[in-house]
Amino acid sequence: MESLIEALLNGLVLGLIYVAIAVGLTIVFGTLRLVNFAHGAFYAVGAYVGLVLAGRYGLLAAFVAAPIAVAAFAVLLDRLVLRFFYGKDATSQLLLTFGIALVVEEALRLIFGGTTQRYPVPDALAGSFALGPIQYPAYRLAFALGIIAMLLVVWLIIERTNYGLIVRAGIRDRIMVQLLGGNIRRASTIVFAIGAAIAGLVGAAASPIYSVNPTVGFSFLVPSFVVVVVGGLGSFWGAVLGGLLIGELQSVTTIVFPPASNVVIYLCMALVLLLRPQGLLGESEVIRQS
Amino acid sequence: MLAGDVRFLIFTAIGLAAFPLALHAVGGYGGLATQICILSVAAIGFNVLLGYAGMLSYGHAMFYGGGGYLAAILLMRAMPAHPNLWLAVLGATIATAALALAIGSVTVRLYGIYFALLTLAFAQMVFFIVEQGGEITGGDDGLQSFPNALLPIGPWSIDLTAPVPPIDMGPLGTVSDLKLWYVFAAIVLLLVLWFTRALTRSQFGEVLGAIRENEERSLFVGFNAATYRLAAFAISGALTGFAGAMRALYDGTVAVDSLGIDRSGSFVIYTIVGGVQTVFGPVVGTAIIVYLENVLSGVTPLWRLIEGLIFIAAIVFLPSGIVGTLGGRGKRGRRALFGALRARPATGVAPPAGPAPAAVDVPRETNA
Repeated sequence: MESLIEALLNGLVLGLIYVAIAVGLTIVFGTLRLVNFAHGAFYAVGAYVGLVLAGRYGLLAAFVAAPIAVAAFAVLLDRLVLRFFYGKDATSQLLLTFGIALVVEEALRLIFGGTTQRYPVPDALAGSFALGPIQYPAYRLAFALGIIAMLLVVWLIIERTNYGLIVRAGIRDRIMVQLLGGNIRRASTIVFAIGAAIAGLVGAAASPIYSVNPTVGFSFLVPSFVVVVVGGLGSFWGAVLGGLLIGELQSVTTIVFPPASNVVIYLCMALVLLLRPQGLLGESEVIRQS
Repeated sequence: MLAGDVRFLIFTAIGLAAFPLALHAVGGYGGLATQICILSVAAIGFNVLLGYAGMLSYGHAMFYGGGGYLAAILLMRAMPAHPNLWLAVLGATIATAALALAIGSVTVRLYGIYFALLTLAFAQMVFFIVEQGGEITGGDDGLQSFPNALLPIGPWSIDLTAPVPPIDMGPLGTVSDLKLWYVFAAIVLLLVLWFTRALTRSQFGEVLGAIRENEERSLFVGFNAATYRLAAFAISGALTGFAGAMRALYDGTVAVDSLGIDRSGSFVIYTIVGGVQTVFGPVVGTAIIVYLENVLSGVTPLWRLIEGLIFIAAIVFLPSGIVGTLGGRGKRGRRALFGALRARPATGVAPPAGPAPAAVDVPRETNA
């Protein structure tokens, strides 16, 4: 029983990481129609920025600087290369962003070496917290609460601000938004930066829990794509639901039937794609326009 | 046989005979030529799918590694007393074709990102199943020390590890490290090239191209697009599985990384750099990338970064690849890679019944 509760909590933490990466993927797809294989690289860059800064200036500095640095990196990438590929077919976008992901991964390997690194949990959160019958690491609980708070902020930006209005309208019909005078390009760039910043912040914050190495981008990106597909490409709540589902599924399978823990999420994705191709909360409308 | 075919075979054979000599002149070794031939076959298989059917798979390592494992398992379990390389390769190829048919019957219903992700998902499943496969697959260690040298031809047994007589190239040095393996691999590559050339010129190839360019229109003309796409997927998987089986026999070992995501990505890179939709593109791309990998990886740790940059440069500046550009088909290739898929009514799912919004969507997308 204790181990099951712990697995559920671990699944929540893992799932929230997936949610955060998947939300970035999904809002970028929704607004820019860009399928971004390089999104995992944002997580990795954030993790390494965090690694460097946390050692020198403390964890707080890392959490502030990582999303800003990653957002700047994303905007640069967007202006330099990606913008030429908006509106191109999905295949070209997949190829290009795959190439970018390879280059970023190798650049990180060159700068920081290929070894797996980890930075320590701050003293204040080093202990564990009594949660019913089990003791759970305090940092993980704080991490989960922090991610939930961040997701709420993102959701409020999308739902309650004018930018969010343009973004949501753009997901529906970008031509109409432009006809009505909405600056969808600027909104899109902001969305791209926000998506990247989320991934960068999560990368920095998750690194005391999951270690950092240059391949970490891909290893979180692939399950996050599973999450996006399961939840529905372009849907915020789909990403949330899919992320928690996949995180829990993976974590609980590790306890119940370990050999299947890596296979089960792909099985889940294959089933969803076949039975409900638009994803659990996806709208077929969005897919048809993609 | 047509005169064009004869000319194609003769010139290609001359090229393949000269290839290890040229490779030697630029510092490659004999085994590298063999590896390039075998990997080229896999990349050609991948190109059948991407280039001719317009479907981007991120999971072709499942066929490549799968073919390797099947050949090894056949040799070790099914015929330990009388190993026969032909039967092992044939069995592995047929089995990967069956695997591709089974997986394809599910995946070809999807397009674009969904197709790419679903193939990736299946490849990951195969990877983890093989990794957990215990004694049958050897788990993390893979399989090794299966008989792999003797190729029976008629009453004889050819030892593929026997050396080819040294070839003196005067000032360029002497090629003395070639094995009969190269001759075998080069003949195989020659036949595969001939087969793909015939395939693309056949009615099947034409219909596939029509479906790639405009699936809806080809449906109206009366072609069953799903069947053609499935056939392309199976042929592609079988060719890649065949190459995987060859590679396992050449190495005398199979490891789980032959099923990995990096392997899948490598076929994408080879094909894009060389040229999609060209017969020789995958071969040229494989030769360049694998050669650079071997030469540069010893010299500089920057190698993988350079590989990634070459790949990005190819996508941005040479979308029809080296062969496509040199062959004066730049425009056609560009249209194929960037334009054709845009005209499809739905990237996500099969075209819905009823009026498709394709025509209205095209200008919207270009405005983005």
